[in-house]
Amino acid sequence: MRKPDRRGRAGAPALSILLLLLLFSAVPSEAADTVSVDVGSVYASNEGSAIDPALGTIRGKLRSMFNYTSYRVLDRKRRSLAVGEAGEFELPGRRTMRATPLPARRDKVRLSIQISDGPRMLLTTTLGLRRGGMVLVGGPSHQAGVLILIISAE
Amino acid sequence: MSIEAKADGLLRREAEGELAGHMAGCDACAAEDAAISATGPVLRALTGIRAMEKAPALDAMWTRVRAGIEESREARLRPSWIARWAWIPAGVALGVAALLFYPAGTDRTPFHPSTFDVAVEDVESDVATVALVDKGEDLPRVIWIIEDAKT
Repeated sequence: MRKPDRRGRAGAPALSILLLLLLFSAVPSEAADTVSVDVGSVYASNEGSAIDPALGTIRGKLRSMFNYTSYRVLDRKRRSLAVGEAGEFELPGRRTMRATPLPARRDKVRLSIQISDGPRMLLTTTLGLRRGGMVLVGGPSHQAGVLILIISAE
Repeated sequence: MSIEAKADGLLRREAEGELAGHMAGCDACAAEDAAISATGPVLRALTGIRAMEKAPALDAMWTRVRAGIEESREARLRPSWIARWAWIPAGVALGVAALLFYPAGTDRTPFHPSTFDVAVEDVESDVATVALVDKGEDLPRVIWIIEDAKT
């Protein structure tokens, strides 16, 4: 007859407490002026006709706005940044994007964006978004198509 | 020695035949063989009698042992309420931890923007031509980079 593992049962409360302690110590206290910046890199091309389901509700919008037949999400990164804190996002093709939240009204987000390709500064812009808003930055060539960045913040 | 070996069943058939021939003419050996052969049934009978005498005590002891086994088995199968419910907070904590520590670098959550209301305060480029495309409130605003001599 196999004995039930009493040590496993006894370990459960200890595991709970350990995890909760870990949780509370690791969760950063979200300040009101913290902005969550979300950057998705989409490869748009005329190779095939597949549209990545991860594009969600903007699949149709991309098709109606651009003349590409295929859209594939290559990467997506999300980072919480405090106002004045610069966050660097690596993009496909050795490009980088630097986003810095700027002071804004409560329901708004202002972002300073810089996109560079090595030493070349491709774009410098300042965006004013409502929380949950989205903007697209496209055009940099990538393989046989272009890169479209989906930038949103909340 | 041969008579004892015969009683123990260790004699070979030929030797047993020779011994039987000898005992047919030797009363002393025949008497010894009869005495040794009778020992087994007597011992078995004695053991049976003693077992019958001890049976009630053995039954009582086995009943106690069985009851003890059943009791400890039930105790193991009936954990305390702490052990029974402790897995719930453990599971919840694990789930929240998994959500928080899930690699934030890349995810496949579909995009569901709540608004396309975006103001482009300024836009410039050192090495490319930049176009601002606005096709209405229902569509996202687009900043299009036309890389010189590239796009």
